[in-house]
Amino acid sequence: MKLTLSWLREFVDVPDMSAEDLVDTFENLGHEVEEYAVLEPAFRGVVVGEVLDVSPHPNADKVRLTSVDVGSETLEIICGAWNFEAGAIVPVAVPGAVLGEDFEITRRSIRGVTSNGMICSEIELGLGDEADGIMVLDPDYPHAAASIGSDFGEVIGLPDVWLDLDITPNRPDCLSVYGLARDLAAFFELPLRGYDIAVTESGEPSQMSVGIHVPAMNPRFAGREVRGITVGPSPHWLRRRLDLAGVRPISNVVDASNYAMLEFGHPTHAFDIERLGNRIETRMAHQGETVVTLDGQERGLSTADIVVTDGDKVVAIGGVMGGASTEVDPETTDVFIEAAYWDPPSVLMTSKRLGLRSEASARFERGADPSFCALGADRVAQLLEQIAGGTSAPGPVDENPGDIRPWTITYPLSETKRILGISLGSAETTRLLSRLTFDVEGSDPLEVTVPTRRPDVRRPVDLIEEIARLHGFEGIPDSVPHGPGDGLPFRERRLRQIRGLMAGAGYHEMLSFSFIGASDLDALGYAEGHAVREGISVVNPLNDAEGVMRTTLLPGLLKGASVNVARRIPSVKLFEIGKVFLPGTGKLPDQPDRLGFVDAGVPASSWLEAGREPDIYDGTGLWEMLAGNLDITDWRLEASTWPAFHPGRCAEVVVADAIIGVIGEVHPEVAGSFGLTGRVVAGELDLAELLVDRGPWQYVEPSTYPPIIFDLAFEVDGDVSTAAIVESARQGAGELLEDVRVFDVFTGASVGEGRKSVALSLTFRAPDRTMTDEEVAPIRRSIVEHVVGAVGGELRGEI
Amino acid sequence: MSHPTNLPDPMDPLDDLRTNAPSRIASADTVAELDAIEADTVGKQSLIAEARRGLGAIEDPDQRRSEGLRINEVATELSDAIDRRRSELASAELEAALAADRVDVTAPGRRPDRGSVHLIQETMDEVVDIFVGLGYTVASGPEAESAFYNFTALNIPATHPSRLESDTLYLDYGEEQEEVLLRTHTSPMQARYMEDHDPPVYVVVPGRAFRADAIDATHLPVFHQLEGLAVDENITFGDLKGTLAAFAREFLGPETEVKFIPHYFPFTEPSAEMHAYAHGQWLELMGCGMVNPAVFEHVGYDPERLSGFAFGMGAERLAMVRHGITDMRTLADPDVRVLEQYR
Repeated sequence: MKLTLSWLREFVDVPDMSAEDLVDTFENLGHEVEEYAVLEPAFRGVVVGEVLDVSPHPNADKVRLTSVDVGSETLEIICGAWNFEAGAIVPVAVPGAVLGEDFEITRRSIRGVTSNGMICSEIELGLGDEADGIMVLDPDYPHAAASIGSDFGEVIGLPDVWLDLDITPNRPDCLSVYGLARDLAAFFELPLRGYDIAVTESGEPSQMSVGIHVPAMNPRFAGREVRGITVGPSPHWLRRRLDLAGVRPISNVVDASNYAMLEFGHPTHAFDIERLGNRIETRMAHQGETVVTLDGQERGLSTADIVVTDGDKVVAIGGVMGGASTEVDPETTDVFIEAAYWDPPSVLMTSKRLGLRSEASARFERGADPSFCALGADRVAQLLEQIAGGTSAPGPVDENPGDIRPWTITYPLSETKRILGISLGSAETTRLLSRLTFDVEGSDPLEVTVPTRRPDVRRPVDLIEEIARLHGFEGIPDSVPHGPGDGLPFRERRLRQIRGLMAGAGYHEMLSFSFIGASDLDALGYAEGHAVREGISVVNPLNDAEGVMRTTLLPGLLKGASVNVARRIPSVKLFEIGKVFLPGTGKLPDQPDRLGFVDAGVPASSWLEAGREPDIYDGTGLWEMLAGNLDITDWRLEASTWPAFHPGRCAEVVVADAIIGVIGEVHPEVAGSFGLTGRVVAGELDLAELLVDRGPWQYVEPSTYPPIIFDLAFEVDGDVSTAAIVESARQGAGELLEDVRVFDVFTGASVGEGRKSVALSLTFRAPDRTMTDEEVAPIRRSIVEHVVGAVGGELRGEI
Repeated sequence: MSHPTNLPDPMDPLDDLRTNAPSRIASADTVAELDAIEADTVGKQSLIAEARRGLGAIEDPDQRRSEGLRINEVATELSDAIDRRRSELASAELEAALAADRVDVTAPGRRPDRGSVHLIQETMDEVVDIFVGLGYTVASGPEAESAFYNFTALNIPATHPSRLESDTLYLDYGEEQEEVLLRTHTSPMQARYMEDHDPPVYVVVPGRAFRADAIDATHLPVFHQLEGLAVDENITFGDLKGTLAAFAREFLGPETEVKFIPHYFPFTEPSAEMHAYAHGQWLELMGCGMVNPAVFEHVGYDPERLSGFAFGMGAERLAMVRHGITDMRTLADPDVRVLEQYR
């Protein structure tokens, strides 16, 4: 809602204050100020003058000689405009006046006659676009005639403050200058001036009749006929206010309707009576019915739309937009001003469906004041009398089958204490609510009658809001209650631990949007029909590339890596923790949390060591680190093939016999399609198993006795997994095994084609004694038997 | 033959050794040289060893004992001197070796890769910690949410514009009657949490939210919020003000000034926005208000007995305010040069 302080001051004597204080005042009332500006006149020394006499210039045809009373004196001024005669009230730049930045007005001779100043046009004063002719203030600025000699800026309300307020949707009453003036009056406890709406009826009574078929959708319909208007431009003062309100002036009929809407908040619509006839009916539209609206578009209607008809054809969509067939045009002389009240949800749904939002629909959808309908029509009629030469016909229409009346709320004073924390007595509460012109009776509980312009005030809590607003939030003392919580829940602590471990391992956390596109899944190499492709579509996606909810974190991570590579960053390690979205059996999609990571590029070499390309063991080692820190012991890795991964370098992570994810080198083709080259390591793990609370770990006393350490190397078939050798060695080693470490794996001629050697270093230690070689000998044999028994092959060297 | 033992007898080989060996020991320059002197003086072929072997020939027990003591005295003196010298030589050699092992300590070291936790996460963690300190617990909820929890349970009417596709992202999922959408705020957890827990409720909910917004310097379609909810008997607007002011002081500094201005949200009443004065300007920090009785009714709480406040703040905005980030898109940038600043 855009408006000026000078307009507000027509209704309430807002105290003098800075623009900043005015902004604060509105904010304290709950009306956020999006933008404001101090409007200064673009002139100095311009006063209001009255033209006393106009005569021809003795030596020139195109200009005239005028005699102008500027209060302190009468000046002879030569003027080139012809749109005025003696008696006009005009702005006069007297000698010494400055227009714009630096155009100083001086006495000067024009064809032998001295001109003592200048009568000004809108454009010369920076007040509008009108360059043809000078501004004539009377009757434009009604008080101007009484202000001869006064500063012209003051007469037209300059300097002024312009404001753009963000009115919250619960306050339709404040989508008007008057409504905001009412709030200011309540805030400052100042009187609010009355409406001053009155028409002068004359002529034959109006023949217009109105029939309402669906009162629930159209509870009230009022209107007034105005005859004999001349369609033309509006006067300057009105155009200027519309301009400052962000509404484009069009013609006096349209402008009057818009002006009245901005002024009092009630939208109206003008029909050309000659085209409309004398009958109006409102009803639900028929299926398949159409109407051409004022913007020239043909609109298809549905049975949920309330429409205005001439008894037959649709002439307007109720509360949304008028129709072209009854539009006011330059030849129109008689109009019918409609001021109705429409069901707010109905207006909202229709305007949304048609994509037709207007200043009018915005007001009706939030709730205009049903009690104001007749006044709204008369205000437009009054303006048309004033600016379009119209005459109001006797016999206004006002059908009110909905009969919406003020309602009463019972308010126990204890609610103020319970919800706000302050005690306000009956007198104080009555005083606050009365400032809003609510009618308050009783002492405790109060019986508060709420006017129909406040659809947001229905329950006691709505009154609490009003009490708090007018009492002021700063007057409510602060207190800090403490909850019974006992610290950060395990899940949160564990998530922080995982993030800390990943960061400690050199990975940067990134956040990607939760969307992917089909092209991402193509790039990952997932064929049609793969579960990863069964993503849930977004009905109204931001764009095609983000049309599906992610089923995997990998595209986001690979794109993240790719961004860095494109920016010539040699090495990038990223991780993300977030949800994926999978079809499930419940009402909502399954939304498991995942941990994903990617390691790409080769770190720059340093003087100490060469940069090393990552490989799968960076990924699996990362998992080992996580598992160790998170106390996950029952895990293993299994060779696997996932479409996005290198078929020979891909491991499934199995915890408690369930696959929780995958770690491997990204398939070179997949990496390539994300703009990555070289080995790229990535992984994606379901977080659930990592978030399990395994309880406190239990201490194991380290042995103080010396260890026995020996190595065993096995020659095995090349396909045998190292994990299987280690696992069978563990089984054969018994409980005194402290550690087993793979310290060498090699292939080559010495072990034969298709075979490999895996060397283990085994550490044994007894908790209670120094172990002897004699003790170890059978353990060595047992290990060899287990390994050879499990995976085949043979021991290198002797037992 | 007898003479005082305190006077050396130059004719006595042991006395001669005692007199002359110390200077040889002291002047030994290498461990090898010292080893030779040791063999020569106290070793198996030395005068001392020879003297010990000769002791048996002395018949007088007193003389034998005193001669034995004298031999031991000399042997100990010399051994101690050799040990001292050996230790001196060892130190010197080690020093020389260390001097030769000197490196340029200013050359860059082997630095483990430094990773980072995302600024948004750090920010949310910090906010969570402040409220945990006030006795709140932490909850999380679904990001793909039903229209019921996202709107209806929060008193947002079926005709409210925020439900439109221009504002809310909907998913092609489930029954048509029960629309599934991407939650537009973390507030649905207010209703879910109250449904699952009896009062009192003190909870914060950090999480992702989604809107059909175009990306620009102040909007991301995927963003993060922190929701808070306190419900108990006798929770007042004063409690809301006090709690959120305490939060602002903790988060932005102890001198932080705040103001509450009236606002409107369907799920709270009265509603307010909290503004805080920080970095030389007033910043809109969060929306808040007293829980609307309609929300209590949806979850089966008695609005006449219980009251509460709720608040919601944007993690992106909090992070930007504190770290001088002016474009929200920065927070979605995976550039390592951005991420490594998050410390």
